[in-house]
Amino acid sequence: MLEARSLSRVYGSTTVVDDVSFTVSPGRVTGFVGANGAGKTTTMRMLMGVLGASAGEVLWNGAPITAEARRSFGYMPEERGLYPRMKLHEQLVFFARLHGLATADAAARAAALLGHFGLEERRDDVLDDLSLGNQQRVQIAAALVHRPAALVLDEPFSGLDPTAVDSMIDLLRTEAGDLPLLFSSHQLDLVERLCDDLVVLSRGRVVASGTVAALRDRGADRYRVVHDGVEASWLRDLRGITVDDVDGSTAVVSLDGLSPSELVSAAVARGPVQEVARVRQPLSEIFREVTR
Amino acid sequence: MSARTTGLWRVVAAREVSTQVRSKAFRLSVAALVLGLVAIVVAVTLFPDGEETYDVAVVDSASSSLVDTGSGIAGTLEEGTELRSKSYGDAAGAERAVRDGDVDAALLATDDGYELVGDGEVEPVLGEALRAAVSQSVTAENAAAQDVDLEALAAGTQVGQRLLDPDAEDAGLRTGASFVFVLLFYVTALTFGMQIASSVTQEKESRVVEILAAAVPIRTLLWGKVIGTSVLAIGQTVLLAAVGVVALLATGNAHALGVVGPAIGWYVVFFVLGFVALAGFWSIAGSLAGRQQDLGATTAPLQMILFAPYLVSVLAGEGVKTVVSMLPIVSTMMMPSRLAEGHVPLWQLGVAVLTTVGAAVLFVRVGAAVYERTLLQTGRRIGLREALSDARS
Repeated sequence: MLEARSLSRVYGSTTVVDDVSFTVSPGRVTGFVGANGAGKTTTMRMLMGVLGASAGEVLWNGAPITAEARRSFGYMPEERGLYPRMKLHEQLVFFARLHGLATADAAARAAALLGHFGLEERRDDVLDDLSLGNQQRVQIAAALVHRPAALVLDEPFSGLDPTAVDSMIDLLRTEAGDLPLLFSSHQLDLVERLCDDLVVLSRGRVVASGTVAALRDRGADRYRVVHDGVEASWLRDLRGITVDDVDGSTAVVSLDGLSPSELVSAAVARGPVQEVARVRQPLSEIFREVTR
Repeated sequence: MSARTTGLWRVVAAREVSTQVRSKAFRLSVAALVLGLVAIVVAVTLFPDGEETYDVAVVDSASSSLVDTGSGIAGTLEEGTELRSKSYGDAAGAERAVRDGDVDAALLATDDGYELVGDGEVEPVLGEALRAAVSQSVTAENAAAQDVDLEALAAGTQVGQRLLDPDAEDAGLRTGASFVFVLLFYVTALTFGMQIASSVTQEKESRVVEILAAAVPIRTLLWGKVIGTSVLAIGQTVLLAAVGVVALLATGNAHALGVVGPAIGWYVVFFVLGFVALAGFWSIAGSLAGRQQDLGATTAPLQMILFAPYLVSVLAGEGVKTVVSMLPIVSTMMMPSRLAEGHVPLWQLGVAVLTTVGAAVLFVRVGAAVYERTLLQTGRRIGLREALSDARS
C-alpha cells in the first residue's frame, strides 16, 4: 500500500501542494484528478522521490519509503522522455536493468511488451522514428518492463486515440492486477471507466476522496420521474421532496423525508408512469462541484 | 523483485560506451587522430632535421675528390649532411647547372686556387665543408712539396669534445614528446569532456532524466557516466599510444621509446586522474544547460581552464612550471611533459597525484549536487548560483 501523509511542497512563498493525504491500495486503481496546476504532478514527483517534500512523508506498506522500494516502482512522468536515438528493445532492456533485472530476463520482458503493442517488428528502430502514439506505448512499456511493485502514471492516456487507450487499459489490467496503481487524468470518462478510488485535488488540497461509487452517491437521493402524457409539475405540491427541475412530463426531484416507494406510489396514483429512476451524479458534475 | 543497487553504475557506463562506440562521429574522430599520429611519425622520419644532400658541379677529378673529402667534413658539422659531385664538360656548363638549380654550387679551379660558385647564395654548411676540404688537401700537398712534416706542424692543435649530458642529444625528441602529451590531453579532455556535458544535457533535453532519477541515485548516475566516458577516453589514448609505438618501431626509431617510454606510463596515470577530476566540472556545465545550444556558453569557463595549463606549459619558466605542475588538472598536462623533458623528484609526483585524487572526489560530489538540483528544470539555462541555492528538499 502506497500512502501520502500530509505532503506539502512550498516554492518560495507559494504553496503548491498543501497537506495532501491519501492511500493507494493494492489491486485498486486510484484516479488522481484536478484542474491544471492543482498540484498533481508535484505530488506524484514527491511520491517518486524525484522531488523532495517540504513537509510530510510517503509510506510504503506502513513504513517510511526507502529509495530501494521506490526503485521497484513503475513511473511515467508527465514530461515524457526516453532516449530519442536509442533502439526500442535496447532501450527497454536498459531501463529494466537499471531497475535491477538480469540481462536475459530484461531482454525477454522487453520483447514481450513490444509484442503486446505490436511493435516487435520495430524493435531495432530508434524511438525518434516512431509515431507519437507508438512513442507513448514505449513509454508505458518502460514503466512496466521491470515488473513494478506499484505504478505511478502521470496522464498515461493523454495524446492516445481510442484504440490505443483500449490497448493500454488491457495492458494495465493484466500487468497491474494486484498492484497499487495511481494515475492522473483529465479525461473523466476514462477515470469513471477505470477507477475504483478517486482523489480530487484542487489548488493543492484534497477536496474529495473515496471510492468512486461512494462519491457518486453522495448528497441527497435524487430521482427522475417520467410520466406518460401527464405534466410532471404536480410534483411541486408533493410533500417530502424538493423539485430540482421540471420539463414537460419529466422532473428531477430530491427526496427530503419521502421514501422511494412512497414516491413511486404517489406518481402511479397521479397517472401513467414511464420511469422512476435514481439519478447518479456523473463524475464531471462531482468534479465541478468540489473544485468550485 | 531483485534489488541490487551495486553495479548500477556499470549499467549506466555500459550504455554510455556502447552509444558512443556506435556513433559515426566518434569513429571518424578516432580514425582521424590515428591517421594524424601516423602522419606525424612518418613525416618526422622521412624529413628528419638536418639530413640533406648537396650536389656540387665539378669539371675535373681533383675537384671531385675534394668534394668527397668535403662530404666527410660536412657530416661532422651537421649530422646526415652529404655532398655529391656531378661532372660537367667545362666551367660554363657547370655555371649553367648552378643557375638552373640542377646543383647547389660549383667548385671550379682558378689560377690561384679554387672558387665556389653559387646562384644567390651558398649554404653555410656547404661552403664551410668545401673550404675546409680544399684547405686541408692543398695544405697537405704544399707541405709535401716543401718537405714539411704536417703532423708535427699540427701537433697540439686538436680540440676534443666531451659531453656532460649525453641525454641532451635527445632534447629535440623530448621537447617534441612533451608537446605531443600536452596537445593530446588538451584534445582528448576537450572532446570527451564535451561528450559528458552533452550527454547530461541530452538527458535533460529529452526529459528521460526524470525516469532515471526515479530509478538511480543521481551520484550513481553521474559516476556511471564519468566512468563510461573515461573508459572511452583512456581506450582512445591507449590506442593512440600503441599506434605511436608501432609507428616509431616501424620507422626505425626504436631508441625513441627508451627516452619517452616512462613518460608515456605516467601520462596514462595522470590522464585518468585528471580526466575524472574534470568530469565533475563537465557534468555541472551540462546540467546548467537546458538545451544543446546552451552548452557553448556553459562550457566556456572549462575550455578556459583547460587552455590555461596549455599556455603555461608552452610559455612559463622552470620555477612556475614546477609549482603549477603539482596542481590538480594542470598536473595532467604538465607532469608527463616535465617527465619527458627530464627528471622529476618522486615527492612532486606524489603531491600531484594526491591533489588530483582529492579534486576528483570533490568535483564529482559538487557535480552531483548541482545535477540533482537542476534536474527538473528543463528547457532553459540556469545560473550556477541559482543551481546551488535551489535545494532539492
